[in-house]
Amino acid sequence: MSESKLLVRGAGKYVDDIKLPNMLYMAIARSPHARARVLSVKGGLNQSDLKAVVGGGGEGWGGPINPASAHPVFAQDTVNYVGQPVAAVFADDRYVAEDKLDEVEAEYEKLKPIMTIDEALSGSPLHAGTKSNIITQRWLGPDFEDPESPVVLEDEFSVARIVNNPLEPRGLIADYDGSKLTVYISTQAVFGIKDGLTSTLKLDESKVRVIQADTGGAFGVKSALYPEYVIATYAAMKYKRPVKWIESRSEHLAASQPGRGVRGKMKLFANKDGKVTAWRGEVLVDAGAFGGSAGSMSPFFIGMQLTGPYGIEKAHVLATSVMTNKPPQGPYRGAGRPEAAFFRERMMDLLADELGMEADEVRLINTTTENFKSPLGLEIEASRPFFKQATLDLRYREKAQSEKAGLGFFVLLSAVWGGESARIDVQEGKVNVWLGGNQHGQEHYVFVKKLLNEELGIPQDIVTLNNGDTGMLKDGVGTWGSRSAVVGGAAIVSAARKLKTQVENKEGNYTLENLLKGNYTSEVFENQNVQLNSFGAVLATVKIDKFGMVTVKECAGCYDVGRALNPKMIESQIIGGTIQGIGQVLYEEVVHDAEGKLLTKNLFDAGLPIAENMPKFTIQIVEHPSKMPNHARGLGEAPTIGVPVAVVRAIERASGKRIRHTPVKPQELLE
Amino acid sequence: MTMRKVKTSFKVNGKPVELELEPRRLLMSALREDLGLTGTHNACDTTNCGACTVLVDGKAVKSCTMLGVQANSKEILTIEGLAKDGNLHPLQKAFIEKQGLQCGFCTPGMIMTSYWMLSQNRDFSDEEIKRMLSGNLCRCTGYRGIVESVKYSKDLMRKKGGDTE
Repeated sequence: MSESKLLVRGAGKYVDDIKLPNMLYMAIARSPHARARVLSVKGGLNQSDLKAVVGGGGEGWGGPINPASAHPVFAQDTVNYVGQPVAAVFADDRYVAEDKLDEVEAEYEKLKPIMTIDEALSGSPLHAGTKSNIITQRWLGPDFEDPESPVVLEDEFSVARIVNNPLEPRGLIADYDGSKLTVYISTQAVFGIKDGLTSTLKLDESKVRVIQADTGGAFGVKSALYPEYVIATYAAMKYKRPVKWIESRSEHLAASQPGRGVRGKMKLFANKDGKVTAWRGEVLVDAGAFGGSAGSMSPFFIGMQLTGPYGIEKAHVLATSVMTNKPPQGPYRGAGRPEAAFFRERMMDLLADELGMEADEVRLINTTTENFKSPLGLEIEASRPFFKQATLDLRYREKAQSEKAGLGFFVLLSAVWGGESARIDVQEGKVNVWLGGNQHGQEHYVFVKKLLNEELGIPQDIVTLNNGDTGMLKDGVGTWGSRSAVVGGAAIVSAARKLKTQVENKEGNYTLENLLKGNYTSEVFENQNVQLNSFGAVLATVKIDKFGMVTVKECAGCYDVGRALNPKMIESQIIGGTIQGIGQVLYEEVVHDAEGKLLTKNLFDAGLPIAENMPKFTIQIVEHPSKMPNHARGLGEAPTIGVPVAVVRAIERASGKRIRHTPVKPQELLE
Repeated sequence: MTMRKVKTSFKVNGKPVELELEPRRLLMSALREDLGLTGTHNACDTTNCGACTVLVDGKAVKSCTMLGVQANSKEILTIEGLAKDGNLHPLQKAFIEKQGLQCGFCTPGMIMTSYWMLSQNRDFSDEEIKRMLSGNLCRCTGYRGIVESVKYSKDLMRKKGGDTE
């Protein structure tokens, strides 16, 4: 990833900026129907050329699934969402490639689509060979007898689907020389893409190299393997010419994997003092048309986080994922964490209202004074000290009184599992670094240079962090789940220490001079088998005009980052994530009509926040070191978890209307 | 299906160019594909996002909303034309220093719109800056760094002209 000094000149090398000789452009013919039988497809590459189903890789991979519900690369007997790839055409010029879409003729017999979770549960199976539309279902936590509680509250909430919409669309170039395949791609995870392509097309993995191009944002949408990637690769091998595919924004909105799309039924049991003694829940994820995406696993991830920073002793949750005629669900910044927080914190506000307690009071009484492992599996450190201080720092009581502020507490569970790899090469006085995870706007080069300087005294200006490249590392994981500074940083520290030992073994002692005069390679894969999380608290205030239009006045946040390795970027991540959190509450939603046609077809309809939506920000960074060698904790997703909770509560207090879903629409707030 | 091409001449970043363009070809494609000026980015095709913003005869224009042939005899300024002799324009320097970017994809368009703002030679309030940036979308930064960058670039310009990298 080019550094900022190049990006401000327009000198980055994003995948669409790469031009290979003799390159073909690909355009994809897509299903116009949410659900139909495919009677015939003529023209382009299509179902008769390739029968494969999309295999696994990356964060968006939900693990092995029933083959009957796997996503076919080209639609076979049926199509199951508007935008599903049906055929592909190719030309020397991208305008001509789009013209050639007219040459594809497909005949369909329309079927009634399944568009909601309820229809999925009650309707007949989408896919022949499956018994129901449930992809995955599991109970979390041991069952218990309902306690005799003075307070029992029950409610239902939902979070609408959101398209990730990084400014750079998805895209790749596949280049095959007759023996070796090289893929240049906009991605969060080169190894996931490599594994996915290799398993889908049954390729020899020693002949596949995936190189990350500069990547213009992702927010989760660029970790999965998509059918278009497989088609471009297949075509490059078939035609022996490089094939480029860059999606249009309409394709991104229709056929990338959106996030959220979750419903929760929650029930809590509490004492009169606000102490929650038990929790029951049901989490239902709208996973879209096929199994295998992140949607297959997200109900478990949401379910296990439902107790958050609170010491709730009993909890039992049914986590279910169902199929509908929409694109497969994927991770969007937070990826289950914001949903869990929304369900839980809404219930805490209900409880506060029920008991006539302050929102901070009812929350604080449920925080813990020592480490706690919830019955659902979430492990937290003592949460009370952080939240007590955060509530004071945010001046919650004062602002609750004067401005009807909303408050939210949350836990950010960093996706450290799987660990990460790092490689450091020293040659001719220069230091080159590769990480298994691939930055796409987070400036990983800043923490890499800082840690190498701390560990080995290497001057920052001789260090280059290169783009992700499966040719340069043996293995790697990816950038998502607020993990990179934590696990990528830990891998860098470990690789640096190994390098130091190499120098000591060769030269007798370590000095920078001894290091730079030699040639060294140090590569590590640092596995992590711990749960690592961080706490955060957000306060928000809003105003609502007579038309029900909400303006967020202030978002104040208190975030524990463990150690602030790049303070300017931390602030920027918080502000960017805050705007995304506001977007979720006020503007963003994927809307289909009853026929399954997409109604939110451009960026304005999709509701991306604009500069004028910016509130006042107040940011407080807390550094409570983690046990990692670089002391970092996760951050990137934190604001998208905490902000919606606080903003929704502020809207509720300002409007007097109970809020049970996002987005909140102006008409709901009018008398 | 290809159309008859039309000879089109214009200036880009001070240099005259001559292209044979299909009438349907967007200015954005002419810049990116035919002239190799890939700093102008395509993010939406629908004039929503502003990542392809360039200056046409001094005005900020989304280059996906204009045909290449319409650029005939006009002067175009792209992001590649801002730095002079290796010296970054104060806006570019400000975007680095005030964290006006993360992934960098919206950045050229943001800078070109901001460049037009600065060319108006007057002071804008924060609210005015936000309104003028409302046709440029950024998914990463939450915009504050961008607004700060625009303001800071004015400070830099008051101190002196360009600055070295």
